[in-house]
Amino acid sequence: MRLTPRIALGTLGLVATVLVTACKKAEPRKPGEWLVGYSSRDQSAEYTARLGDAVQARAKERGVKLVFVDAQADAQKQISQAENFISQKVDVIILNPCEVEASSPAIDRARAAKIPVINVNSLTKAAPDCYVGSDDEQAGILAMEAIAKKLGGQGNVLMIHGIMGQSAQIHRDAGARKVLAKYPGLKLLDAQTASWDRAKALALTENWIQAHKGKFQAIFAHNDEMAMGALLALERAGLKKDVYVIGVDAIAQALDAVKAGRLDATVFQDAVGQGRGAVDAAILMASKQPFEKEVMIPFQVVTRENVDAFLKK
Amino acid sequence: MTLARRFILDRNLVHRFGIVAVLLLISGLLAATTDSFATASNLTNVARQVSINGILAVGVTFVLLTGGVDLSLGSVVALSGVVCALFAHPGEHALLVPIGMGLLTGGLCGLLNGVLVTRGGIAPFIVTLGMMTVARGLALILSGGKPVADMTPALTDLAGDVGPLPIPLLCFALVALVSWVFLGRFRLGRHLYAVGGNEPAARAAGVSVPKVKLFAYGLCGLLTGLAGVVLAARITTGQPNAGQAYELDAIAAVVIGGTSLSGGVGGVLGTILGVLLIGIINNGLDLLSVSSYYQAVIKGVIIVGAVWLDRRQARS
Repeated sequence: MRLTPRIALGTLGLVATVLVTACKKAEPRKPGEWLVGYSSRDQSAEYTARLGDAVQARAKERGVKLVFVDAQADAQKQISQAENFISQKVDVIILNPCEVEASSPAIDRARAAKIPVINVNSLTKAAPDCYVGSDDEQAGILAMEAIAKKLGGQGNVLMIHGIMGQSAQIHRDAGARKVLAKYPGLKLLDAQTASWDRAKALALTENWIQAHKGKFQAIFAHNDEMAMGALLALERAGLKKDVYVIGVDAIAQALDAVKAGRLDATVFQDAVGQGRGAVDAAILMASKQPFEKEVMIPFQVVTRENVDAFLKK
Repeated sequence: MTLARRFILDRNLVHRFGIVAVLLLISGLLAATTDSFATASNLTNVARQVSINGILAVGVTFVLLTGGVDLSLGSVVALSGVVCALFAHPGEHALLVPIGMGLLTGGLCGLLNGVLVTRGGIAPFIVTLGMMTVARGLALILSGGKPVADMTPALTDLAGDVGPLPIPLLCFALVALVSWVFLGRFRLGRHLYAVGGNEPAARAAGVSVPKVKLFAYGLCGLLTGLAGVVLAARITTGQPNAGQAYELDAIAAVVIGGTSLSGGVGGVLGTILGVLLIGIINNGLDLLSVSSYYQAVIKGVIIVGAVWLDRRQARS
């Protein structure tokens, strides 16, 4: 395509429109109104999207002005977003980190600019001023304890990892392995990643059924998407009755599946609690009031017995 | 057309020997090192798992033959799957509606790619890169960022089997067969090679280059839509974040199969071999319990190694 003046003008016009639309958000602030930047790990993943929604809802409720951006699971992008927050002179940055190591520079830059940072949901190597989240190790412990209880401490377990290197994957794995160490009769037959993805977990479980048919009694998936994939593979092979499946997050579909008696259990992670906690902490920090450095929102195991209480949330 | 000519069009038989050898070698190794690889149930399993990538790879073969590329496959798979799932709630529509809507969505995305490439004169890489993000965004908008669940069993049963054969495999086989015959026997099929091989010469010979390209992108889109429907049936939901990087596996399969990235050379038979190779690697590494970190490395090395062997043999 040749660059004619018309095309050049058209492109310029387009860019200008986009810029004007983007800048509309930056209206002047009312006095006493806090400006908070929020960088979501990935708005296309169900849990982090729910967390993002909760942050937005709480900010509206408490009259906080929120700059909301999505890092689309890209740590590099998240660092640039933190830099943008700094130049926008926000009062507090809330980060839902993409990765343990790679998102750390975002924290360092903000701290260097003397803007307080809150990590929500997930940890980074660099320490933020405040962490609001749940102890992912606890999720791993709860899930593997549920398996140990179901199997009476005897049997073979398979584990489906999230994206390798993410805080949730590392800590859920560590928690699960702590429990495994306690039960000598409980053996980890294999552990592979399915990158939080249902289709990948489905294929992985199909392959496991080929490799270890009849030799495993439980599957722990690091999230519900993957637990649903494992469940589908087991159901299609007619093996579900022999295998206990547990996930983490308590997404709507998983709760429905627990209710219907298809999925055995999931571990509830409180997106609303984390989102509220993060915004509340941000307000305390912005107004220079004392705040807790660590706000822990507990996980809970959801089974058929207590699922109704969670379906309402 | 004589049989000999067909082989020339598909480059030649020798060209594919390298891949066949690699495929046999890896299959032999897996059969020797695991009890489960060479069983009927695992081979059915592999067949089921390669079907989606297979349908995509056959589709993108058409585009690559014209010298183009389609990077939007994965996102369009997600979008078509979401659209299909939205129309697939039990008791709302006849079974053909969600399937048709999924195919239509894919086809429209493909046609739009084709129009922008031919009439807009924009490089295929850029056009389909744009479509990749637009389709992903649309999938998120239509689904509200959440998986679209509650699909009618009539549709999700399409991921099941007919007798011993998985339905997704039958779809792939049909698509591959029709495409193979089409590329070898039909004038439009031969024009695809002509356009990719030497565009000015094809134009001089009276081939309507834009029409041929539009056809290639449209067909690729339609097949991507089909892959989206099959995926939605398989995972029983329309997932807006499904299909990440599917285009890379599909393009890798086509290139392993001997189709040139610069167009004009290759064909569907090679693509099928490429799809099988990637599928067997994925399955075999799981069966062998190879750690996730090593899986990624091994897969990459085998893909590049297979192409290298193949090209070396083709030269000699």
